[in-house]
Amino acid sequence: MTSGDGASDADLLRAHVEGDKQAFGELVRRHRDRLWAVALRTIGDREEAADAVQDALLSAHRNAARFRGDSAVTTWLHRIVVNACLDRIRRRQAHPTVPMPDGSRSDDRPSGVEPAAPVQDHETALLVREALAALPVDQRAAIVLVDVQGYPVAEAAEILGVAVGTIKSRCARGRAKMALALGDVVQPAAQPARGDVAHPTPGNQEASTSVPSGPAADRRDQR
Amino acid sequence: MTGADFSGVDIDLLADYIGGALEGTPDESVVAARIADDPRWHAAYETLGGRMAMVGAELGRLAPEPMPADLAARLDDAFSAPPRLELVHDAAPVSRRRQRRWVTPIAIAAGVVAFVGFGLDYLAGRTDSNDQGTSSAAGVAEQSTAAPQILSTGTDYTRSTLTAEPVQPLTAATTPDEPLSAQKNGDRSAATLPELSRLMPPEALQECLDAIQQENAGGPLSVESVDYARFDGAPAVIVRFTAANGLWAWASGPACGTLAGDADTLAKLPVR
Repeated sequence: MTSGDGASDADLLRAHVEGDKQAFGELVRRHRDRLWAVALRTIGDREEAADAVQDALLSAHRNAARFRGDSAVTTWLHRIVVNACLDRIRRRQAHPTVPMPDGSRSDDRPSGVEPAAPVQDHETALLVREALAALPVDQRAAIVLVDVQGYPVAEAAEILGVAVGTIKSRCARGRAKMALALGDVVQPAAQPARGDVAHPTPGNQEASTSVPSGPAADRRDQR
Repeated sequence: MTGADFSGVDIDLLADYIGGALEGTPDESVVAARIADDPRWHAAYETLGGRMAMVGAELGRLAPEPMPADLAARLDDAFSAPPRLELVHDAAPVSRRRQRRWVTPIAIAAGVVAFVGFGLDYLAGRTDSNDQGTSSAAGVAEQSTAAPQILSTGTDYTRSTLTAEPVQPLTAATTPDEPLSAQKNGDRSAATLPELSRLMPPEALQECLDAIQQENAGGPLSVESVDYARFDGAPAVIVRFTAANGLWAWASGPACGTLAGDADTLAKLPVR
């Protein structure tokens, strides 16, 4: 039995492939909060995020034998979840639903049913989430991974299957769009030097580095 | 909006520069020169850079969002191995024949338990009627209503007929006075649906049901019937079950329950 606390993610996945019926469940329990957060912020709708996570994990469960170990297991899981989210968003864009009289749904815009932020930050957080949701999906996915979840740029690039420079560009352009949309909601405390915007404080300070796994999101999840 | 005047400035290019995406590229020096020489670019750089940093900071402050408990529970159900069934013989038989029952360490759908118990008896040719040497139509009827049916109709289901209840052909039905022996059952199954012979042993069938349960992601299954049959001409087990997400008719191919095949789902339809 490999499903103990001491087993690595790779051990668990290997055990699952070899028939251990508890191993994959343990792997999911380890990472479900981060996978959920990425899905929710990317897709912006709780029900759709739940469906995407469920579909993605079933796919991972089925296709575990194809995992070659080229990346960390968490990176692989995130890639599957993010792709499931992007697929759903693109399907939604290709077949937009008819807006309800209350305007509750259009193309890839989230339905605005995200959770409430702490009271003191509620208004700002709401506006930030709305601005994030309005971004093109590629920029949104990159920003969710790097700025919201704290993944290093290199790992975000691996998850999304693009170059590091592409992630930097998507994040920077997305932040610029959000800055324009948010206007005076966000006020700079001091003029940063070039490049510092990729490492905001207290945002993702490891954005330009690469680590095998164990995302900076761990820190954030424990806040 | 910010109220800042960014006219004449390529915001995306400037953002790339600020975000470090142009490092080492020819555009880096081009943008740097514009910022140095063009007041509009310089002003945009001053304004946008700071606000981008603040946006990054605000994004980092968004509250963490743990997975909702109901979704976590669904995933636990989907990816936890269903409890294994074990055969328990009563210490003291209450009658001439041995009582047998199936128990499970935690509660799962009674239908599944009943199904496996009945299924094993069926496959092994040890029906109550066989053990007792006597039987009654009432007894068989009572058992068939209490336990899921295992059938081998050979019916070729389609999407339009998948949700119909299976009907055991009279020629294949087991009669009370002619209990089905294991050998006979195996011969019949192999003769009619050899591709499904892998799924005849109860352990393999249980693996298949486990796989369906996981793919369905609706919690434990209460199985009504399993029919060794066909779907669109291809060999398939047709499973009717109830789970938390409703009553389903599910067609799975011969690889159902294998790691590579998972549930080998050919079709699945809600029964309405």
